[in-house]
Amino acid sequence: MLRPEDMTRIVVVGSMDGLDPTVECLYDQGVLHIIDFTEPTQDFKIGSPLPEASDASQKLLKLRAMMRALQLESYTPEQKLTTDEIGAKLEQALVTLDVNSTSKVDARIKIVSLIREKEQEIRALEPFQSFNIPVENFVGYESVSAFAGTCKKDPSEGLAVKLKAFEIFVSPLKGAFAVALFVKNEDKAEASRVLSDAGYQEIKIPNLRGHPAAIIFQNREEIKNLHADLVRIDKDIDGIRKRFADFIIASEEDLAIKVLKAETPLRFATSANSFVIDGWVPRSKLGPLEKALGAACSGTTYMEAIEPEKKEEPPVRLRHTLPVRPYELFINLVLTPKYTEIDPTIILFITFPVFFGLMLGDLGLGLVLLGLGIFFRLKMSGGFKRLGTITIGAAVISILFGLFVYCEAFGVPFHAPADNPEETAWDTVVNIPLHPLINKLTDVKELLAISIAAGWMHMTIGLGFGVSNNWHSKKHALGKLAWLILLFGIFMEIMFVAGNTTFTSKLFNDTLFAPFPSSMSTIIGVKVSNTALVTALVGIALLIVTEGAVVLTEVLTIFANLVSYARLAALAVGHGAMSLAFNTMLFPVIFGDNVVLAVLGALTLGASVAIFVFLLGSLSIGIQAMRLNYYEFFLKFFEGGGTEYSPLGYSRRYSIERT
Amino acid sequence: MVLQEATAVGAGLALIGAGLAMGLSGLGTGIAQSQTGAAAVGATAEDPKMFIRGIVLMAIPETVVILGFVVAFLLLGTI
Repeated sequence: MLRPEDMTRIVVVGSMDGLDPTVECLYDQGVLHIIDFTEPTQDFKIGSPLPEASDASQKLLKLRAMMRALQLESYTPEQKLTTDEIGAKLEQALVTLDVNSTSKVDARIKIVSLIREKEQEIRALEPFQSFNIPVENFVGYESVSAFAGTCKKDPSEGLAVKLKAFEIFVSPLKGAFAVALFVKNEDKAEASRVLSDAGYQEIKIPNLRGHPAAIIFQNREEIKNLHADLVRIDKDIDGIRKRFADFIIASEEDLAIKVLKAETPLRFATSANSFVIDGWVPRSKLGPLEKALGAACSGTTYMEAIEPEKKEEPPVRLRHTLPVRPYELFINLVLTPKYTEIDPTIILFITFPVFFGLMLGDLGLGLVLLGLGIFFRLKMSGGFKRLGTITIGAAVISILFGLFVYCEAFGVPFHAPADNPEETAWDTVVNIPLHPLINKLTDVKELLAISIAAGWMHMTIGLGFGVSNNWHSKKHALGKLAWLILLFGIFMEIMFVAGNTTFTSKLFNDTLFAPFPSSMSTIIGVKVSNTALVTALVGIALLIVTEGAVVLTEVLTIFANLVSYARLAALAVGHGAMSLAFNTMLFPVIFGDNVVLAVLGALTLGASVAIFVFLLGSLSIGIQAMRLNYYEFFLKFFEGGGTEYSPLGYSRRYSIERT
Repeated sequence: MVLQEATAVGAGLALIGAGLAMGLSGLGTGIAQSQTGAAAVGATAEDPKMFIRGIVLMAIPETVVILGFVVAFLLLGTI
């Protein structure tokens, strides 16, 4: 559970005659993680693809181009095809598709670009319609410069001041002015200065002949015709798509698998007559693979388990089942653990939802979150689906905390607290016979003590893993142990100082710390437990011995780490305070006499709960729960940098294998 | 409850202290997060895999405001 799957180093050797069935068999079994062969020697070279690779790749290329042209990339086929059917029809279908679709798709692209061009011309000429100047007259002068564009304000007056001779056409245009200006070449610089002061933007006049109005009219007619053509072609293409879509998707998948298999020899070593495949196999699959190879290759291929070299590190396959499995996502987002390291997924599975629930702790929001999680789990795929499972776990714990610990839903308590009997509570609507163990706003000390205790346990597990991971080097393992002792001392000090003021500290003092003497002394005005001080000093001394004196600069970080868990309390309190603020402001309005105000108040409350409390709250709470794991916990032991186990294999979704 | 003048002044000072501890540590965290946040967004834009590491780096300065919260709370406890 805390270790990745056991791997065995194997070598598969055989004669070239048996290459084809061997590759086929390895893919069928789907358990071999190949070690890529990268250093050719005199006798062994990197293998070359199987003969069918080049033909299959070419067809694949063609099919993929068609998929793009027919916009089939996100299409999900209605029926699956067998590989026999695909093989029988492929050649013929490729020709038919080529003849029918290529020309139509090309024509479609041309029509679309033509429509765009015509529309662009219309846009360029529209502002100048009212000037009644033929388009060809905007260009082609020797001594005159022409400007055409839009200005934010009318530049006529400015031009009249600066220039002696010019001809200008101005017409208002949606809050600006369309301007056509003709000046002598020597006045060009001055004119463009005046224009730019008026916020001039040039419009490129298309190279056409005739009056703008006539051209625009003609273009609109042409666009109408082109659209009609487009509809016709789209209908044709749609027909082709309907007829071939399933086939194209299925055969693309089949060909991709063929190419994948055919190119596998590029990953291992071959000589003139033999091949050698290095790799790793989960120990439990060793027997079945050997049997399958024996049966498929009838004695031309041999497999042997060998002792791995020291520098070789096996690939890592985390082995968890639901509901722990989705938490592998959190691990892989950082780094894959090394083969020799402890896999912390199971701890994440426990701590993430508990931290989340402790911070959110609300029946109503928990239920909403549960709905969201179930939606993700059922309707999404991949990462989001896994996130859905994680959300469900977090939501369930939040609901439990909301029901039994904080006793509130949507920030409203089940019963008004004794010190604030005016507060709106659920008991006006429904009486839930549960009373809070902890009030988020008044029992902050208790929450803090719980947070620190949770932090101590979490970090202790982390440091314990650190000891285990470093077991091969006694010095480093002792170093982790020293941190563990120091942390214990600090935690003991905090609990002793808290004494009987909180239930949590009392519990620890009466049980775990009961055997230790509880004598206290005062150092620079701070109450210090003698036992805690001695424990911490022992820890520090051991640290200096194992990690060197430099480590003294880091001693305080472990204290900061521990206090960092106070965020569990802080977020719970913050969350409670935010909900209370919204509810106090809006409930009097909602339950007042004015109906309109009541509806508006209810809407505002709904929106604010949705945005501030739920969305931002859950997001930040999720991030905090994750961060405590990543930063305070992982850094105590996790190195990472392992290779993820990725065996030879493929998944067929749209085609069915028939042999 | 009528507080003695001296107690009232002391309580007021403690409250101001709690406010300062919370506010200033929040400000400090804000300044630090503005920089790590900007860098994290930049890194994520280049390589989406940096997202989680960005979040973790962004969350580190939050410890400062948590310490502020604890100090503020301890000050409130003295009243």
